[in-house]
Amino acid sequence: MKEIFKIAVALTVSCLIAGGVMGGVFMATAKAKKRNELLNVQQTVAGLLGYSQARPAPSNLKIRTIHRYIVEDEGGIRSGYLVPVFAAGKTEHEFWVVDLNGHLMNRHQLNLSPERASDEQDRRSAIAGVVGPRKTIRHADEISIAQLEGKRLAYIIPAKFPGYKNAIHVMVALDPDFSVRGVEITAHEEDPGLGGEIEKEYFKNQFQGKAFEKIKVLTVTKSPLAEEHKRYLETKEWGKRALSEQDIRGLRKKYQNEEIHAISGATISSSAVATGVKRIVRNSVHRITLLEQVVRENAIQGAF
Amino acid sequence: MPTTPKTHKQLFLNGILNENPIFRLALSMCPAVGLSTSVMNGLLLGVAVLFVQVFSSCTISLIKSHIHPRIRIPTYTLTIATWVTVIDLILAAYVPVAYKAMGIFVRLIVAFAIITMRLEVFACRHDLASSFWDGMGMGVGFLFGMTVLGTIREILGMGTFLGIEVLGFRPMLFFVLPAAGFFTVGFMMAIFNYAETISVRRKRRG
Repeated sequence: MKEIFKIAVALTVSCLIAGGVMGGVFMATAKAKKRNELLNVQQTVAGLLGYSQARPAPSNLKIRTIHRYIVEDEGGIRSGYLVPVFAAGKTEHEFWVVDLNGHLMNRHQLNLSPERASDEQDRRSAIAGVVGPRKTIRHADEISIAQLEGKRLAYIIPAKFPGYKNAIHVMVALDPDFSVRGVEITAHEEDPGLGGEIEKEYFKNQFQGKAFEKIKVLTVTKSPLAEEHKRYLETKEWGKRALSEQDIRGLRKKYQNEEIHAISGATISSSAVATGVKRIVRNSVHRITLLEQVVRENAIQGAF
Repeated sequence: MPTTPKTHKQLFLNGILNENPIFRLALSMCPAVGLSTSVMNGLLLGVAVLFVQVFSSCTISLIKSHIHPRIRIPTYTLTIATWVTVIDLILAAYVPVAYKAMGIFVRLIVAFAIITMRLEVFACRHDLASSFWDGMGMGVGFLFGMTVLGTIREILGMGTFLGIEVLGFRPMLFFVLPAAGFFTVGFMMAIFNYAETISVRRKRRG
């Protein structure tokens, strides 16, 4: 009996010590970790917009994010959009509940400061405060809009979809005319050497420059990538020995309307990305047009 | 296992050659087979194991007199888990570049047989300095094994070394798939066994 007691005490004490050490380190590093994650996202976004260390983003570049929530109650399921609205030189947030036909049902003012708007928990509690109880809200997706001097520069959509093994996380950038500006694979667990090749330039850059009309009907082909096409796609790898402007323009014209060439040995991963990007682009374009319609119908000033 | 006390140098070399975790002790075979698909993977996992092994060995060696014999294994697991979590968190916070590449490997280490085995066999019976050198030897031995496996598989499977094109073609794509890990490990074991047989024969003659 005494032995059992001793063992129990020893185990509890060692667990407490281990827990204390881990908790302490977690608290000490939590802030830095969060900052790194944010920095990482910002770097990816800047990369997609065409900025780099050599060409930093201008200070008047503004990125505003629209979050879509699913609002559910006895009345049915609706979409709710958390939209930044600028009035009198300030950015405020509003929550629009939109029905399935794209008509504005409710418009709520949110009390959300810019710092709090970047935190999911704070956003949700602010929304719960205005839509009232007995409603469940779920975060669905988000679209960021990059603006430069009052003009829309690009849409940036972070999203995920199932790959061959696990979810593939991507960030898709669209031009104002909804053609693809770039696709970045932010996280994936595909097989290295096979599906893992999706993050290589010769695959992900194939989406670049494809018009919305083309993306809508995008498919995957198993025919191999032509050598000069590959060279055109691998811009970073060739670096200084890059193609001349004229060559690039010619090659772009030649290959722009091709289907996505699958990676050999990884057709499933390749078509997963192609289908995923296709779906993301279609859904986002649908949502952006829907929101623009809401803005027009209700004559809302200064929305996103 | 010989009971004669060894010098620190012997302890260190022991882990790399005579008792190489992968090729001689056949421990931690799951990661050895699953993750040695490229040189970089092998290197990163090896470095992560090296750190956790050394820290855990030292910790257990320091607190060995306070561990109740009935709960040795839980204590070892707890120690390893603590070090893994601490390293994971510190990497994520202060070395984001390394974390991006090593993050998933570090978290896998909690379940590695080689670390628990070294704590049970060595660290809980020896002083701090010996445990440190044993941990170093085992860690470097694992790193060496993973790098060799990664090199063979990457060159044969993808025709590259550290992501740089060396062959210009892919000789056998099969080598990057998990099943090929067994062949590569078996092949390396055969080489190590052969080397041992030869050295034993030579000793007998000499």
